[in-house]
Amino acid sequence: MTSALDRWNPLTPLAAAVAMVLAAFAGPQPYAPVLVLAVALLVAIASGIGFKVTALTALVVLPAFALLVLLAAAFPDAATAQRQWVPSRAAVLDALAVSLRLGAAIAALGVVVVGVAPRRLTRALAARGLPAWAAYLVIASLEAVPDARRRADDVIDAQRCRGVPVGKGTGMRGRLRALPALAGPLIVGLVTESEERALALDARAFDPRASRTALAPIADPSAERWARRVIWLALAAVIAWRLREFAQSLTIT
Amino acid sequence: MPLPARRTLPTLALALIPRAVALNLALGAVVGALKLPVYLDSVGTILVAVLAGPWAGVITGIVSNSVLGLLVSPALFAFIPVAIVIGWLAGIAGRAGAFASLAGAIAAGLVIGVAAALASAVIVIALMGGLTASGTGILTIAIRATLGVSVDSAAKIAAIATDALDKPLSCVLVYLVLERLPRRLSARFRRATA
Repeated sequence: MTSALDRWNPLTPLAAAVAMVLAAFAGPQPYAPVLVLAVALLVAIASGIGFKVTALTALVVLPAFALLVLLAAAFPDAATAQRQWVPSRAAVLDALAVSLRLGAAIAALGVVVVGVAPRRLTRALAARGLPAWAAYLVIASLEAVPDARRRADDVIDAQRCRGVPVGKGTGMRGRLRALPALAGPLIVGLVTESEERALALDARAFDPRASRTALAPIADPSAERWARRVIWLALAAVIAWRLREFAQSLTIT
Repeated sequence: MPLPARRTLPTLALALIPRAVALNLALGAVVGALKLPVYLDSVGTILVAVLAGPWAGVITGIVSNSVLGLLVSPALFAFIPVAIVIGWLAGIAGRAGAFASLAGAIAAGLVIGVAAALASAVIVIALMGGLTASGTGILTIAIRATLGVSVDSAAKIAAIATDALDKPLSCVLVYLVLERLPRRLSARFRRATA
């Protein structure tokens, strides 16, 4: 898929996302995660991937928030509190703080995950020195996943046709016994296939250490390179400030 | 950063790792079809570690969780250290000959399970307040409700309870696969990684 982020070198949104995740955890609470979450969602909306990033974030954050509130309300520390089905303000605020940090991290990384094509990101990393073996592993893994999923479905269907008990009406022991029959052919098939792939790599004189020359290099304008330097400097400043605060708190205590 | 000269992965291991990563995801379909209370999302990592050594296992774990992070949820990036622990310990167990017998595979699975559980509990407590939006999160609440322990302790117990079932089962699967693997292929792996 393409998004507005494709106009950028993939390393720039990646650097921004990593910095935002660290800032959400290391920055002043709760302002840093709120700011990171808002910026990430705004960038996602501006890039045309707002719905996907919001859904991705909500799918992780909302259940986590609900479980944390439930935990604090229904099962408080036995020594200090009574069970109460209406959560206290402190419990909600605690759950909100954890969920906001989590949401900020998911949204910031989600912009990169949804908005930047993995193949493009790997090419950009390869241009910055990622060795051929690492680039091969990421790209080949992404390509192997749909095939393996299809093969898993085929094996399940085939074994079901042969009478292997699957699904409802089968006890736990029966389902555990069926596991090798379903997983075995899938695993053995994938392992034996890797031998053919290894032969193909050897036949092409694949050198795991070589750095490859891209046919269509991804542009990395000097403005973006400077932007990344500024991002790392700002992040280093936030971390240094937090470490200073931490050191001061140790001195006081 | 290039691999140190001694640690270059052989082509056979390089070709196996992407299939193992895909296996970690694809086994979810088998688990779903059988409605088993386990994940089996480390079978590929353990298999590579046993066949090609701890270093290959570590790389499989890193790539697997990175690809999962890209395809499923960015939250899974946080669990890369757990995958590293699994890959490394499975490789060590493989080199020690634990996968030569069923009992050894189960014992290796228990050790890997406890180590992985403690590593994942630390991450869940530090980043997510002790709970994940999954079956383990529900189990954490249940343990806190029944035993009255702290959230941190409940998270650790829940992680160990989940992984103590999941990882031995994963190791048993790997043992069964190794038994059925063509001897010529296992020998090629041994030669390539010796």
